[in-house]
Amino acid sequence: MDQPPHVPFKDALGKLWSTFLPLLMERVSTLQAATDASTQGEVSGEQMAAAKAAAHNLAGTLGTFGLKNGTDLAREAEQMLSADSGIEFDGERLRQISACIRTMVQNHDFSEEGLSQ
Amino acid sequence: MEEVEIMSHRILIIDDEDDIREVAALSLESIGGWKVDTASSGSQGLARAAAYKPDAILLDVMMPGMDGPSTFRELRKNPHTAKIPVLLLTAKVQSSDQERFAQLGAEAVLSKPFDPLTLSSQIAEILGWN
Repeated sequence: MDQPPHVPFKDALGKLWSTFLPLLMERVSTLQAATDASTQGEVSGEQMAAAKAAAHNLAGTLGTFGLKNGTDLAREAEQMLSADSGIEFDGERLRQISACIRTMVQNHDFSEEGLSQ
Repeated sequence: MEEVEIMSHRILIIDDEDDIREVAALSLESIGGWKVDTASSGSQGLARAAAYKPDAILLDVMMPGMDGPSTFRELRKNPHTAKIPVLLLTAKVQSSDQERFAQLGAEAVLSKPFDPLTLSSQIAEILGWN
């Protein structure tokens, strides 16, 4: 029986997910590390900038791999880390966000889910 | 019997993020059936555009060094690349950012994350490709 046309593409996309999973986890770790440091009052400007960049990258990527909720959370994190967004920095919320994104990324299974959530 | 060569559209993707670049390339090749070249920076993109002469360029806005808008301006200055349609790609969702990018003169501003199943049809519709 022929596979539906999108199945081979989904398989290829799944392989890319596996390839880039370490990079995505690294971005989550960057976000988490800066958040943890900020709640202890020990975060540097460079760490915060890296966290903002990581959140921006995650926001632009996760939805493409089917994790729209991850994109939404990463966007919220990015705005909280942006001085000009008008959104107040909330360390506890950022910790929740980064933990949630980590769980989503770790548990994302291409074989079971569609390309968009 | 005469063979008819089917000309496929050629797209250059310029994005510093490896994962986005590879997913977009996979999408446009597999779903769109297009030929794809890629560049990981604005300066590399300028060189590839002049050499590859794509039918369109998908250009990331936020890149280190030469960002998307700067790369776009350089593309427009070069007579070899000035007429290539450019679609900007950005994860910025603030309307002020979107408006600023739209005013550059690109064909369109596409949002990240994109749907890899529909990216090629989205681009085809914008550019009037069948």
